[in-house]
Amino acid sequence: MDFFLSLWSFMASRGDEIQTGLIEHSIYVVSVLLSAGLFSITTGILTRRNVLAKELALSITSIFLTLPSLALFTIFIPLVGLGFAPSFIALFLYSLLPILRNTITGLDGIDYSVLDAARGMGMAPRQVLLRVQLPLAWPVILAGIRVSAMLIVGIAAIATLVAGGGLGDFIKDGLARLPLANSLESIWAGTLLCVLLALVIDLALQLLKRATISRGIR
Amino acid sequence: MTVIGPPIAQRQTLAERLDLIVTPIFAVILGIVGGAVWLYSDIDDTTRAILAPEKLYTQLIETIILGFASSVLVILVAIPIGIAVTRRGLPRLKNFLVDTLGLAQALPAYGLIVLFFSWLGTGMFTVIVALATFSLLPVLRNTIVGLEQVDQAVIEAGRGMGYTKRQVLFQIELPLAVPVIIAGIRTAIVINIGMAALAFLVGGGGLGETINSGLKLDRNPAILIGAVLVAILALIFDFITAVAQRYLKPKGM
Amino acid sequence: MSTPLIRLENVTKTYPGTEAPAVGNLTMDVYEGEVLVLVGPSGCGKSTTLRLINRLIEPSSGRIYLHGEDVTDIDASELRRKMGYVIQQVGLFPHRTIAENIATVPKLLGWDKARIADRVDELLELVSMDPKSYRDRYPKELSGGQAQRVGVARALAADPDVLLMDEPFGAIDPITRDRLQNEFLRLQQDLKKTIVFVTHDIDEAIKMGNRIAILREASEIAQIDTPEFILSDPADEFVENFLGSGAILKGLTLKKVRDIDLHDIPALEMPVMRDEALKVLEQSPEKTAVLLDKDHKPLRWISEASLNRTSQPIEKSGKPITVDLQPEDTLQDALGVMLQSSVGMAVVVDRKGKYLGCCSIESLASLIIGGYGAQGAV
Repeated sequence: MDFFLSLWSFMASRGDEIQTGLIEHSIYVVSVLLSAGLFSITTGILTRRNVLAKELALSITSIFLTLPSLALFTIFIPLVGLGFAPSFIALFLYSLLPILRNTITGLDGIDYSVLDAARGMGMAPRQVLLRVQLPLAWPVILAGIRVSAMLIVGIAAIATLVAGGGLGDFIKDGLARLPLANSLESIWAGTLLCVLLALVIDLALQLLKRATISRGIR
Repeated sequence: MTVIGPPIAQRQTLAERLDLIVTPIFAVILGIVGGAVWLYSDIDDTTRAILAPEKLYTQLIETIILGFASSVLVILVAIPIGIAVTRRGLPRLKNFLVDTLGLAQALPAYGLIVLFFSWLGTGMFTVIVALATFSLLPVLRNTIVGLEQVDQAVIEAGRGMGYTKRQVLFQIELPLAVPVIIAGIRTAIVINIGMAALAFLVGGGGLGETINSGLKLDRNPAILIGAVLVAILALIFDFITAVAQRYLKPKGM
Repeated sequence: MSTPLIRLENVTKTYPGTEAPAVGNLTMDVYEGEVLVLVGPSGCGKSTTLRLINRLIEPSSGRIYLHGEDVTDIDASELRRKMGYVIQQVGLFPHRTIAENIATVPKLLGWDKARIADRVDELLELVSMDPKSYRDRYPKELSGGQAQRVGVARALAADPDVLLMDEPFGAIDPITRDRLQNEFLRLQQDLKKTIVFVTHDIDEAIKMGNRIAILREASEIAQIDTPEFILSDPADEFVENFLGSGAILKGLTLKKVRDIDLHDIPALEMPVMRDEALKVLEQSPEKTAVLLDKDHKPLRWISEASLNRTSQPIEKSGKPITVDLQPEDTLQDALGVMLQSSVGMAVVVDRKGKYLGCCSIESLASLIIGGYGAQGAV
C-alpha cells in the first residue's frame, strides 16, 4: 500500500518526464507501424503469387525477429550513430514479420469464389485487389498490426540503452539509482506506463477496426 | 484416395526447408561482417581488451546457460499449466488466460529483468527467473491452442475404446499437439537467448557485457562484434530447434 | 426371452443447469446377437442413450447391466474395453498407422505382438481391405468409406461381444453408404455380435435392424419391435409420422414375391393355334394371356386385340416378355418389374425359368391394404 502511494506521488511529480517518455515511445510506435505496415503489406501483395518469393520474405523477416533485440539495436550504431536512428531501424525490422505474415494469410484466406465473381464481373486485377482482396483481408492484417504494436511497445524500452529515449529511461534511471529513494518507483513507472500505453494503443486499434471493417465481415 | 492437396503440403515443407537454409546463410553473413570488422577496422588496445577471447568465451557460455535454463524452466512450468487449464471444467480460466496473454506481450522484458533484480538481487538466477516469466506466454498459449485444436472425434474415439483420461492426454492429445507446442517453445528459446543479452544489466554476465562495454567506451568494433556474436548464437539455437521441430513432428500429420 | 445381454434399468440423465432430462427413466433391453436400432428425431437423446451404455455419459440415476452384472459403478475405462465403439467421424488417430489404430484395444488388454499382428491382418481382410497395402498407411491417406471400415475393424479388434455404433455411415456418400451397409449386414451374419445402432434415418433403421426402438424426446420409447410389426402396426401418431408416408413403400422390401397370391391368368403353351387362343381369351374374364414355349417358359403377352390385328403367327403377336420375377425377389423389385412391363403385370418363374404365375398390381395392393401382417418376415 505504501508503495502504491509512493509510486503515485513519484509519477505525479514527474509529469513532464512522463509526458516526454510517453510521447517518445508513441512516436516509435506510430512511425514504425506506419512504415513497417506499408512495407510489409506492399511486400505481401507483391509476393503473393510467387511461392518462393513469399516464403523467402517470410523467412528473412522471421530471422529479424529471431535476432536478440540488443544486437539489433546496436548493430547499426557504426552506421547511423546513437539515438533515434538505430532504435527505429531495429523496431522497424522487428515489426515486419507479424504484419507480413498476416497480410499473406489474410489474402490467401479469401474465398476463391468471391475473387472469381469479381473477375467474372469484369474487374481488372488492380481493382480486385483494392476493392475486394484488401478489404476482406484487412481484419487479419489489422490483427498482425496489433501484434507488432504490442511487440514495439515492449521492445522500445530498450531504446534507452542506445540513447533513444522512450519510457525505458525510467527503468534505466531506476536501475542506476538502486537502492536509493524512488529508484524502485521509477522502474515500476517505466514498466507500468508501457503496459498502459499498450492498452491505449490496443484500444485505438480496436476503434480503428470498428471504423474500417464493414459490418458484414466483422 | 488422395492426401490433403499438394499446395498446402508443399508450402509447409518449402517453408521448413527455407528456414533451414536461410538461417545458416544469415548466420554466415553475420559472421563475415563480424570477421570483416575484426580485420579491417581500427582495433586499439581498449577494444582488444573488451574482445579478449577468454572474456568472450565466458560470456558465450553464460548466455547459453541463461537461454537454456530459462527455456527449460518455462517448459516445466508452462506446459503443465497449459494442460491443467484445458481440462474440462476450467473454460473460464482458460479464456481469461488466453485473452490476457495477448496483451502481456507488451510487457517490457527490460523492465521485468530489472524488477526481478530488485527482488532477487544480482546474478544469473535472477535473469533466469525473469526470462522464464517473460517467455512463459508463448509456450503457455501454444500449449493451450495446441491441445484445443486436437480433433474432438479422435479424443471421443479414444475414450470410447477404453483409454483412461490420462492415456488420452499422453497418447492422443499431447502427441497431436506437439507441433504447435514446439513452435511455442522455439519462440521462447529465441526470446530467451535474445533477452539473455540484457543480463549484463543486472550482473548476469553474457555477451551483452561486450556490447555494453563497447557503448560505454565508444568502441564501435566492440559493439558490432558483440552484437554479431549474440545474433549468431540466437540463430544457431533457432536452427537447432527448427531441426528438432521437424523430427519431432508425428508421422501421418 | 433369455436374459438380455445389456439392460438399462430406469436410467435417467439430466444435465446440470437444465430442467428437462436428456434421457428420462429409460428401461431397455438388448438381446444377444440382435441388432437394435435406436432411431428418432434430432435431439431425442438417442446418442446420449448409446453413450450411457458404455458410460461415456454417466447416468444421473438408474442401473446398467452387462451379461447380468451391474456395471454402473465399475471402472468406466475397463468397461469400454469390452465394447466396440464406432462414431460418425470415425476418429482414427492421425498420428498412428492403420495397424496401430486397429491394435489399440488389444494393446491395452496386453495381447502379445504376434497375436496383435495376426488379428490386425485378419480384421483388415474382414473389412475387405488388403492388409499388405493398408496396415502401414496413415488415416489421412484414406477415403471416407475406407476410414469407416478401419473404424469398424478397430472396434472389433478385441472381439467384443457388444458393438455400439453412432450414425457410423452418416458422413458417407449414399452409394458408398449402401455398399457399407450391405457389407456390414453380411459381416453380422457371420459374427453375430450384439449391436446397438443409432441413426436418424428410418430407412437405414428398417434395413439394418432386427428390432427398432423409435424414440421420442428424452429417449422415451414410442415403440420397440421388429420393423415389420412397426410398419404394419404403428403404436401411435408419433410413430406414424416418423415412419412417414413412404412407410408402405418401405415395407415392400420386407416381403417377397412368394408371400402374395399369384394372379391366375390363362396360360397357353406352344404349340397353339390362333383360333384356340382367341377362344380361350373370349371365355376368360382376363384380357391378357401368357404364351409359353414348349418348356413352359414365358414368351409373350397375348391379347385379343393383338391376335386380331396381325396376320402373323401367334409366336410373333402381342408383346415379348423381357423381364421376370422369382419367388425370392422382394415386392419392391416386383413393383419395379411390373411398372416396366407394358401390361402392369410380371411373370413369376422358378429357378429353371418355368412359369409359375403372374404378379399383378392388384395382388400387391390387396396385400398392402390387408396389412403386412405381424408374422416375422424371412
